[in-house]
Amino acid sequence: MSSSDFLVFYVCVLAVILACRCVPLLALGGRELSPRVSEALGLIPAAAFAALVANDLFDPATAPNVPALLAALAVLVVARRTGSLIWCALVGMGAYALLCLAA
Amino acid sequence: MSAPTKADISAGVSAALPVMMGYVAIGIPCGVMAAEVGLSPAVAFLLSATFYSGAGQFMMASLALAGTPVASMVASVALVSTRQLLYSAALSPYVREAPRPLAALFAATVTDESFGVNMERFAAGAWSPTRATVVNVASMLSWASANALGALVGPALAIPADIMSFAMTAIFICLLSGQRWSRVTLVVAATSAASVVALKLLGAGSLSVLLGAVAGVAAGLVAGLPGRGRGEGR
Repeated sequence: MSSSDFLVFYVCVLAVILACRCVPLLALGGRELSPRVSEALGLIPAAAFAALVANDLFDPATAPNVPALLAALAVLVVARRTGSLIWCALVGMGAYALLCLAA
Repeated sequence: MSAPTKADISAGVSAALPVMMGYVAIGIPCGVMAAEVGLSPAVAFLLSATFYSGAGQFMMASLALAGTPVASMVASVALVSTRQLLYSAALSPYVREAPRPLAALFAATVTDESFGVNMERFAAGAWSPTRATVVNVASMLSWASANALGALVGPALAIPADIMSFAMTAIFICLLSGQRWSRVTLVVAATSAASVVALKLLGAGSLSVLLGAVAGVAAGLVAGLPGRGRGEGR
């Protein structure tokens, strides 16, 4: 990629990223939200994290990634028991690495 | 905008620590890929501090290495950032009283992981926009530094990126598991996950996460309808 191509890419993508991050927050900022909108906003975390987990674990184009699914189960157990992000990240990487070696 | 106090920095950094560690683990291989595209450590730092998007940066590197035209690269990387619209909307009630420059800095530095960490604390009640911004900026600095380090050591460091990136998957699982679970939450999560898989199957690619999450929220609103008065908050 040439320097000018990179510059065009950088400026265009940065504009989109900043707009996606800032516009809803700043535009909704000062207003009272209706109960239905508040309810919808409250559902976003569960929806987003379920979507991200599914996106990481399932690819319909390839065979099921068994080590990833088993490692995800191990992480779920740790998450329910400890609620700790650090432990989940460490156990997840360790379990996935070991299961990949074993597979 | 008043400067954060020592207590704000300490609370924010301690909340951000797991995310910062995860970002170091995944930022280094991301920086290695940036070096393969030809970015210097300084440019990798700048790019990471401003884009601040793991999915977007990995995608940028792999598309650039594949010789993809710039217009397609812009469209692909921009699309994976669209889910930020949802986070931005969800966080808006919590920064309503914050000064606009602080709200803008906070908004510009939200990621999947820092969104989860801050939402948990905002929902619990004992959190401020200043502390939430400390979480975002501390995480961003760890991400950008790890990318610069990766670009510096370059391909000399052969780290399997899929193992490193499983740290992020594990963090998402933990954040999902920590939600307040009810019948509606179950409907939301199951619909989101099933929609993402279906959308990927249909070829929605980068848009799958955003559209899947929107489908989940819609299903949750429908599931929450019976027995709920219109004047009732969440």
